[in-house]
Amino acid sequence: MKMRSWIFFFLLNLGAAGLWAQPANPGYKPVTQTYALKNATVVVKPGQTLQMATVIIRDGLIQAVGTNLPIPGDAKVIAADSMFVYAGFIDGLSYAGIPQSRPTAAAGQAGPPQPGQQAQRQANAANPTNEQAGIQPEIKARNVISPQEKSLEDLRKLGFTAAHVVPQGRMLPGSGALFLLTGNTADEMLIRDHTSLFATLNGARGVYPSTVIGVMSKFRELYKQAEQAKMQEAMFAANPAGMAKPANNKSLQAFYPVLDKKLPVYFAVDDIRSFHRVLTLQQELGFPIVMAGLKQGWYVADMIKSKNIPVLLSVDLPKAKETPKPGEKKEGEAAPKVDPEKEQLEARAAEEMKKLESQAAVFAGKGIAFGFATYNGKPAELRDNLRRMIKNGLTEDQALSALTTTPAAMMGMTQALGTVEKGKMANLVVSDKPYFAEKSNVRMVFVQGNLFEYEAPKAAPAAGPARTAGGTPAASVGGKWDYAIDAQGDAYTGVLTISDNAGAISGSWSSNQIPGNNAMINPVLKGNQLTFSSQINMQGQDMTLEFDLQIQGGSFTGKISIPQVGTFDIKGSRQGGPNGLE
Amino acid sequence: MKNSLLLLPLLLLGVWGFAQSKTGSILLKNGTVLTVTKGTLQNTDVLIVNGKFTQIGKNIVAPAGTKVVDVTGKYVMPGIIDAHSHIAIDAVNEGTAPVTSEVWVGDALDPLDISIYRALAGGITSVHTMHGSANAIGGQCETIKLRYGAYNPEDLRMEGAPRTIKFALGENPMRSHGEGRGIQPRTRMGVEQVIRKAFADARDYDAAWAKYNAEKAANPRALQPVYNRRLETVADILKGNIIVHCHSYRADEIYMLLNVCRDFGVKKLCFQHVNEGFKVAPELAAFGAGASVFADWWAYKFEVYYSTAYNAAILTRNGVVTSINSDDAELMRHLYHEAAKSQHFGGLSDDEALALITINPAKQLGVENRIGSIEVGKEGDVAVFDQHPLSVYAIPQLTIVDGIIRFDRQNDKKDMRLEVDPAQPIPAFNMENYEHVDRCMQGTEDLWYYLFENEKH
Repeated sequence: MKMRSWIFFFLLNLGAAGLWAQPANPGYKPVTQTYALKNATVVVKPGQTLQMATVIIRDGLIQAVGTNLPIPGDAKVIAADSMFVYAGFIDGLSYAGIPQSRPTAAAGQAGPPQPGQQAQRQANAANPTNEQAGIQPEIKARNVISPQEKSLEDLRKLGFTAAHVVPQGRMLPGSGALFLLTGNTADEMLIRDHTSLFATLNGARGVYPSTVIGVMSKFRELYKQAEQAKMQEAMFAANPAGMAKPANNKSLQAFYPVLDKKLPVYFAVDDIRSFHRVLTLQQELGFPIVMAGLKQGWYVADMIKSKNIPVLLSVDLPKAKETPKPGEKKEGEAAPKVDPEKEQLEARAAEEMKKLESQAAVFAGKGIAFGFATYNGKPAELRDNLRRMIKNGLTEDQALSALTTTPAAMMGMTQALGTVEKGKMANLVVSDKPYFAEKSNVRMVFVQGNLFEYEAPKAAPAAGPARTAGGTPAASVGGKWDYAIDAQGDAYTGVLTISDNAGAISGSWSSNQIPGNNAMINPVLKGNQLTFSSQINMQGQDMTLEFDLQIQGGSFTGKISIPQVGTFDIKGSRQGGPNGLE
Repeated sequence: MKNSLLLLPLLLLGVWGFAQSKTGSILLKNGTVLTVTKGTLQNTDVLIVNGKFTQIGKNIVAPAGTKVVDVTGKYVMPGIIDAHSHIAIDAVNEGTAPVTSEVWVGDALDPLDISIYRALAGGITSVHTMHGSANAIGGQCETIKLRYGAYNPEDLRMEGAPRTIKFALGENPMRSHGEGRGIQPRTRMGVEQVIRKAFADARDYDAAWAKYNAEKAANPRALQPVYNRRLETVADILKGNIIVHCHSYRADEIYMLLNVCRDFGVKKLCFQHVNEGFKVAPELAAFGAGASVFADWWAYKFEVYYSTAYNAAILTRNGVVTSINSDDAELMRHLYHEAAKSQHFGGLSDDEALALITINPAKQLGVENRIGSIEVGKEGDVAVFDQHPLSVYAIPQLTIVDGIIRFDRQNDKKDMRLEVDPAQPIPAFNMENYEHVDRCMQGTEDLWYYLFENEKH
């Protein structure tokens, strides 16, 4: 029953921004703003490719695309032979550039518990401030986005040049806007302001509305109250005589363009349950909707098509299981016992994985136009996941549409974004192999004519058996490890217990904040890198923690990431000293 | 491996086949039919057409194409109804305020919950899935039909079933709000006042709208009262549009709520748990309030010590509409045993005992005209047992909802999950890792911390 962990409260308030600070721009003005990408394979738009073509970029715009183009004298010529040029990608819904915690505490969270503050918060649970309740639709992405955030670069180096960014929070985090993925200020980055009202079904922590049922009710109430307030304001504006002044509630006022059906609500839908819940709200209230970040959408693909519901699919996929290679059985060891029940369950899991990987193909096959949202995915896995979707029936053109033309249309920016055509913004991604091919690398990204160059990764040393370094097998990682998470000076500690049975890793972790032992899920040890995830339940909400540890001898460093909360540093050392084996 | 892979599409087809349609037709031949309301009929056929009982009698000829199942030697009873459960929902308690009448667990239905199938395997066909008991006035509940196989929560709802709402007396709301947050209610007296205040506020709210509606024709500039879902819902209770289901144990509190409801004209009332109901059985009967009890489950907290296994029988004999519920996904699977206990303790007749899990819960949910007995015109919900369902040897064989077989012991697939997380390790379930979870207070665990853990520091 000891179900309490302050860790999330602290983690929420970790100032991550400083850690990642990295100039979006080196600070020097480029010699020229005119480029000629010569002799490239140019994918003008999905389904249309030019060979040996040249793209001329001038002052942030695409000046010309074609073969045998005259090269302007002031152009920096880039020999792009054997390279592939695509329109820069557009992220349909993203947290890129949003600091993990705002100085005033993330919505729905009043900050780390101070003596007395917690009691106050508890007493106020029924009547929290809008900020505590996660109800801040008046927050604008352009006022929150920070050009220094590393998450912008993480997205850009994948080929994204624009993103529909929304504030991060609980029920109503704010309104979104379309940004370029470069610029020194939010104003420089901004392409189109006020493109969405963002909503989720996530309740506030510990205060009303704290559950999905609370959020559903509160959304209905706010919507109706906004209608009332809008009506009253109109009456007051027409003739204030004899009338009480309207309350001018800024949270309700943020709904007005939605009531007028001029602003779509981008609703976070993680699975089939939340899809149906959001659809219920939408049908009751009638607001314009975009279902954002959908998973398990194959159950409702026909409904989405018939109702013509705009949709962004999630780029997230569960990690692919490493298939054990046959013949790994050791000499003298008895053949592993076949457990038919386990085999059947594994087959079922594989089937479900297939369905998740095929979601995009199912949608494309039905002719549903969709974009992708990254807010509930991980940039580092995006390219692998796209390839897995393509392996499962999505064509490369369909994938490209979802990354370019469809989100451009959803944002109403078809004339400026989404294709490599004259007059469009010079947003381009250049890769050394076709973008979706294995081992293809993004080598250049142009954002409004600003060039970002990327080195091809050096060839990895011949991949030997997983954990051999320099021919010497690394020591077993098995044993007990003390770990610590540094959260603004407060240490969160516990024990990580790893069992390393000849490379078969399993284990669990305990914490001074979370009761019980939490199992490692899908642990993978590659070289010195140990990754695994773990599921915990906080106030009825399942949370998946992703661990990524670099083990060096008797110590490790690494990161824990928690969706919608952030990524944090963890370090640890083996119990009993650097070489102490259990 | 190959075999199981081949099996898989068939498995899935089996599940998806369910989802296609919400009603079906079936003829059960030659069973012992326990109608509950119209006696027991030997060697009798039951015909369900398009989800409704159309004929009950001998030698019925089914319309062409109707599935026919021989149930010779078997017992056919109405589908079992559980009047108190928390399955198939993703949120149980919005435990942040003493009154949360505006929330509704019907907004959080989870049709993929495996508990639905497990309940079907116990002969259950309808469930009153409820908000928890953290708040004096909790959220609205939902009556669902166990149409397992559907992915759309709408397919689970029992369309047209009356609205119901959860109230809670005693330790749970006192602990959540009084002890946990230092606000009202801290005592049993406080719980009463929270409910009285909510009723009074709702009456004022309703009056304000009535005033506006009367005024607006003459005065187009009249302002609406600020929309308030909480008070609007409580006002609906006062108007008789919502049945109150109240978590309660002690006789003094039960009697208190009878008085509060009398004061405010609330007539639709059913008590849940009501362990001391036997002390106020005549008063409950006089009010017309129902009682939904456990057969023999008590002593899990201080206010639940004074209990008796004769409770259901005493209430029944006093004329209280009584049901036996589970409040638990496991207990739910053998409610027929729980009903049978009322014969052991209190000597109820077969029909009286079966009524505790069929027609009586249907009455408490306001759906007795649709389910709860085998009668022509009612919905085709049936549980078939190999022995008399009140026998300790009885094993459910077939569970039918709206004429569709949702559980068949002869064809019970190994993996009936509708959703699998491929990233999860293969689940192992054994007695060592089984943890009994009382979901009544789910979502309020943090309060335990404040109450007990903090004091140590």
